[in-house]
Amino acid sequence: MRYAGVLILGLMLSGVVFSQELVCKRVKSLPLDPFDKAWADVKPVDVPLSGQTVTTPMQLKPSVTSIAVKCLNDGKNIAFHFIWPDKTEDRFHLVSKFSDAVAVQIPYKPSADVPVTMGEKGQRVLILHWSAFRQENIDKGYSDTAKIYPNYAYDWYPHTDSPYKYPENWANQYALNYIGGEKVFRKNTFNTPVREVVAEGYGSSTWKDIQGAEGKGVYKDGKWHVVIKRAFVEESTSNPEWGPGKETFASFAVWDGSNGEVGARKSLSYSWIKLKVE
Amino acid sequence: MAKAYNWQLGREVNYPYEPKRPKRQFAVVMDLNKCIACQTCTVACKTTWTPGRGQEYILWNNVETKPWGFYPLGWDIRLLELLDGNKKTVFDAPEGERVLGWMPEDMDWMYPNVGEDEVNEPVDVGTVLENLPHPIWMFYLPRICNHCTYPACLAACPRQAIYKREEDGIVLIDPERCEGYQECVRACPYKKTMFNFVARISQKCIGCFPRVEEGLQPQCVITCIGKIRLMGFINPPEKARQDNPIDFLVHIKKVALPLYPQTGLEPNVYYIPPINVPLSFLKQMFGPGVEHAVKTYTAMREGKEPELQALLHLFGSTPRIPHTFAVGRNEVIAYDEAGKEIVRVPLVEPIQFRPHKDERLDVVRQDIP
Repeated sequence: MRYAGVLILGLMLSGVVFSQELVCKRVKSLPLDPFDKAWADVKPVDVPLSGQTVTTPMQLKPSVTSIAVKCLNDGKNIAFHFIWPDKTEDRFHLVSKFSDAVAVQIPYKPSADVPVTMGEKGQRVLILHWSAFRQENIDKGYSDTAKIYPNYAYDWYPHTDSPYKYPENWANQYALNYIGGEKVFRKNTFNTPVREVVAEGYGSSTWKDIQGAEGKGVYKDGKWHVVIKRAFVEESTSNPEWGPGKETFASFAVWDGSNGEVGARKSLSYSWIKLKVE
Repeated sequence: MAKAYNWQLGREVNYPYEPKRPKRQFAVVMDLNKCIACQTCTVACKTTWTPGRGQEYILWNNVETKPWGFYPLGWDIRLLELLDGNKKTVFDAPEGERVLGWMPEDMDWMYPNVGEDEVNEPVDVGTVLENLPHPIWMFYLPRICNHCTYPACLAACPRQAIYKREEDGIVLIDPERCEGYQECVRACPYKKTMFNFVARISQKCIGCFPRVEEGLQPQCVITCIGKIRLMGFINPPEKARQDNPIDFLVHIKKVALPLYPQTGLEPNVYYIPPINVPLSFLKQMFGPGVEHAVKTYTAMREGKEPELQALLHLFGSTPRIPHTFAVGRNEVIAYDEAGKEIVRVPLVEPIQFRPHKDERLDVVRQDIP
């Protein structure tokens, strides 16, 4: 299996592209709601997914093997629409429990030679990553202790303001910086379920300073329906070379939380798919 | 997969990264004969580092009763099953994994006092404990992060968010790099990394690094009222120094032993095994060195190991980190890194005679008959 992974990697490095093509039609306004009428007219591309078996830890038994992808743009923003089947709705990221998620990856340079395996040094990719647990925070309030374990008896938080902030005048500055405080919780308090990261190879994904991407995910009838939206060009930050009238590439990944999928344990499309923006 | 020499096993083990020993290695010795499970260490650690939301269940320092106590539930039984006796280390991972591990469920963490004070088996009426080891036994096992020479948490993190500090060997998780994948929780055989479900990052014992940087021993060490702990820096056996207190206990006298050394991690918390416990159990937990350790400790109690006995007086006698020590006529002296004296502890306390009637103050002392 490991050798199979290396083989696949070799094929990808040589720039093989699936014959699939995702056409991103231009519309007047981009709907964030996955059930908006605008999406109904778009024909989806069914992208096959397989378990991540190139680097450890691997996902040898992925539960999601296909995802339906649609795309629209309004000249300034691009939006992806995803539907994939998932028997369990995992909306929390807890001790030994993981959240469902989906991500789209775009190379900075519109070339299929950029390794689909999260790029490599000098070959940067942008990843837009929607998570069900972030959606849960936005839809139903932050998942803190009282919400997760409503019967948990804990009489006193000597240094912690509600719900997840340490007082700035707490004498233990080390604890403030290392285990708590704004630094740690900043990532959890963005008002969007989509995080933007850049990567130059496995294990290198890093949050962008500007987090402009938006999204919305709804679980209905055993399926996730998710929209991820981002401006082609975000101000004061780096952007991929993409936009109306241009062609680039995209690849996709899905995580099924209750199948223990998180981080490298995921299913993904092992090939760039041509993304034609009209 | 690189090869790393593990002196505790006396052989090379697989390791995903090129092995590199830090300039100095944080180490703690704990004398299990003295622990009374008062949990002062647990509380000291908890109030200092983990009082926040999402950390309710987190105990970087915990004290469990052996043989029936576990935090998380069954952690070492699960480990021994995984290792298949001594055939594997945790770095002999199955296909698709970096480390041979298992993931505790949230409820596994919720019973830190399970099995507390329970003895190994039911006691018959009329049982008398006369000889060592005892047929009926239990002991307390205080545990912190082992700040391993070859950390499994570090090896398992796909984001390389965990690092081992060059200056003191303390293993830390970078809270900004961590995404809460919990690969480290799955990997650590001692289950000493934990997931903060509100901050959504994994967190672990930080060896009180801000204190260590100031030349001070960690909170759990200095607050121990039983004076069972001593923190210092350990050298590999070929560089062991007679005057380094940790080296003396681990390498010279071989009275302090690593916990489950068969994991292959070279853990750096060393335990003086409890002499009331049968060797068969201790051997499983601390390796084949237990026989010698118990023998040496027993001899020390009979006054036959004066230097060792003197050194044990340093435990809990100073908040500063002793780098070297010397034994005087009726005292043991500790020195800091610069060789400056930090404490001088008498081996036998001088007797103070306080008469019933204090003539100077013209009062009668009520507490003296």
